[in-house]
Amino acid sequence: MKISKYPFSVLSASLFTVMLVTPITSISNLIWLSSVDMPVTFITSLEVILFDFQRLGFPLFVVFTIAFAIAFTVAGLLSRFTKYGGNNFYALAGATAIGVALILMVELLFQTQLLGGNRSFLGKIFHWIAGFFGGYFFYNLISKERTFTFAVRFFGIFYAYILLGLVLTWVFTPTAAAADFGFILSDLSDTAQNALLRDFTSFFVATFIFSILGVVTLNPAWFFSAGIVYYGAALFNLIAIYAHGTTYNQIYVGEIILGTLPTLLALTIIYKNKSI
Amino acid sequence: MQKKYHILLSFFLIFSLDAKSDYKYETIADDLNDAWSMVFIDENTILFTELTGNLKILNLLDKSITNIANTPKVHYASQGGLSEVILDPGFKSNNKIYLSYSAKNKNNKSTLFLSSAELKNDSLENQKVIFEAIAPRRTSVHMGAKIAFMQDGTLLLNSGDGFDHREKAQYLDNHFGKIIRINTDGTVPKDNPFVNTTGALPEIYSYGHRNMQGLIVTSSGDIYENEHGPKGGDEMNLIKPSLNYGWPAITYGIDYSGAVISPFTEKEGMEQPLLHWTPSIAPSDMIYYEDNLYPEFMGSFLVTALVSKDVKKVTFVNGKDKQESLFSDLNERLRNIEISPAGFVYLLTDGPGGKLIKVLPQE
Repeated sequence: MKISKYPFSVLSASLFTVMLVTPITSISNLIWLSSVDMPVTFITSLEVILFDFQRLGFPLFVVFTIAFAIAFTVAGLLSRFTKYGGNNFYALAGATAIGVALILMVELLFQTQLLGGNRSFLGKIFHWIAGFFGGYFFYNLISKERTFTFAVRFFGIFYAYILLGLVLTWVFTPTAAAADFGFILSDLSDTAQNALLRDFTSFFVATFIFSILGVVTLNPAWFFSAGIVYYGAALFNLIAIYAHGTTYNQIYVGEIILGTLPTLLALTIIYKNKSI
Repeated sequence: MQKKYHILLSFFLIFSLDAKSDYKYETIADDLNDAWSMVFIDENTILFTELTGNLKILNLLDKSITNIANTPKVHYASQGGLSEVILDPGFKSNNKIYLSYSAKNKNNKSTLFLSSAELKNDSLENQKVIFEAIAPRRTSVHMGAKIAFMQDGTLLLNSGDGFDHREKAQYLDNHFGKIIRINTDGTVPKDNPFVNTTGALPEIYSYGHRNMQGLIVTSSGDIYENEHGPKGGDEMNLIKPSLNYGWPAITYGIDYSGAVISPFTEKEGMEQPLLHWTPSIAPSDMIYYEDNLYPEFMGSFLVTALVSKDVKKVTFVNGKDKQESLFSDLNERLRNIEISPAGFVYLLTDGPGGKLIKVLPQE
């Protein structure tokens, strides 16, 4: 069965462009930090790049999706009614979309440059180039028909992208991650700290890996695994509240959402394949 | 029946709000237009600025407001405009005041200015620009602009990092992200920390600051400052000459966009804040209370906050801060706090339609 490829191609091109754009800000920051003798190492660089991909990337994904939707629609209409078209045409549309979006973000919204990597002329050029490749990627996606697996893979990657933030926080800044769950890490005994860090990190890393494996193999068992873990968290959250008398914790809503998305993906695969 | 229920509910709500508040308030003035700073000329007279460029006198006895003429031409945009006003220590004899404001420089860029003037017959006379920051920016943001007198009679001025120019806070060849120290005539004190440093601007007193807000000198001569971090990392610092306060190489905050500004929170040679607020409270002004009218405030810093809409009472015990939230029942973004000569606490609320509120001591 074929799906409506254009919306998914816009979303995929946006995510691809975000992946190219966020390191521009990360690396420009890291270069400056090195220039003032800050101890930038491979690990700190990786931490910054991955964090930026997840946290800065999310708002950019929204902006780029809107920009690409407009630009590629215009490009599509022009290619239909004029002699222009092809991958370079869409690539130019992508570059224009990113360039205009970043200018408008400054002029219409903030009057200041929120995107650190876009402050220098060289940084601007790199952003346009990222948009160019985003357009090229979009053209490649729309130039052949897609099946439902394309949509499943997109949502699977997007799900993993959301989990990436939790994974990174637990791996790189466990004190802050623990604080988000109500723990003051330094107040816990060494044994308790160890248990908290290993179990929580393992929990999020595992579900992240399940979703990636689901995307790669399209085996619904991996998506089900992630779903079961989060549904379980929601269930035992409610048991803790109502059976064990803990404070009401509305995080179970998020856990249900995080359980539902991979479960739906798994069910979609089963429905389409009629078997596991 | 339903109407009765609402009346009863309203009664209980009002009663409970009143019962929760430890202080009573008196609104002295309202409908102020972006009021930013105030200073007491005497117990019944306040001189205050509005960011729009107005300098006004408020008579607390008859609540009349008088516009002061001949104020400097300011660049009122975003966070810029007519900012701080303070009195010269010899104001009673010389009528001298100091004003900080953002205005366009000769290259049509916005920057921070500090002027002196004499307040005579509801007008400013003998105006003189005594400092123009080498911190030109496109938009009037992160100006700083607080002024304070040191005990030796020199002036301190906050000069913010200009947002788009944050890295310049680490370099001494500009006034972005610096605390400035000058004489009242605009000359540079000979004992400023960088007067003999090649390439450094001699007015710089300390550096590595972000968007500074409160600036005070206590009766013991200590200098305290607070500043906005980005998302998280608002700071309160004890200021010492020549020291580097780290922004943006070290910070407890992340960028508004979500990006990491720096993964580092400390480094040798860079000062740690006395405390940092994460998540941000957006501190605005600050006083150190050393009067008797509110004994519970004695020896405490009172920090007004825009985002948390309260005053943080901050005390330090053995180097660790203790904090208490005050006046949150006002539910206002608080811009400025001042103590009257008799020791009363006055608050200015932020933005258009702002109010001047007197906090009455507990009975």
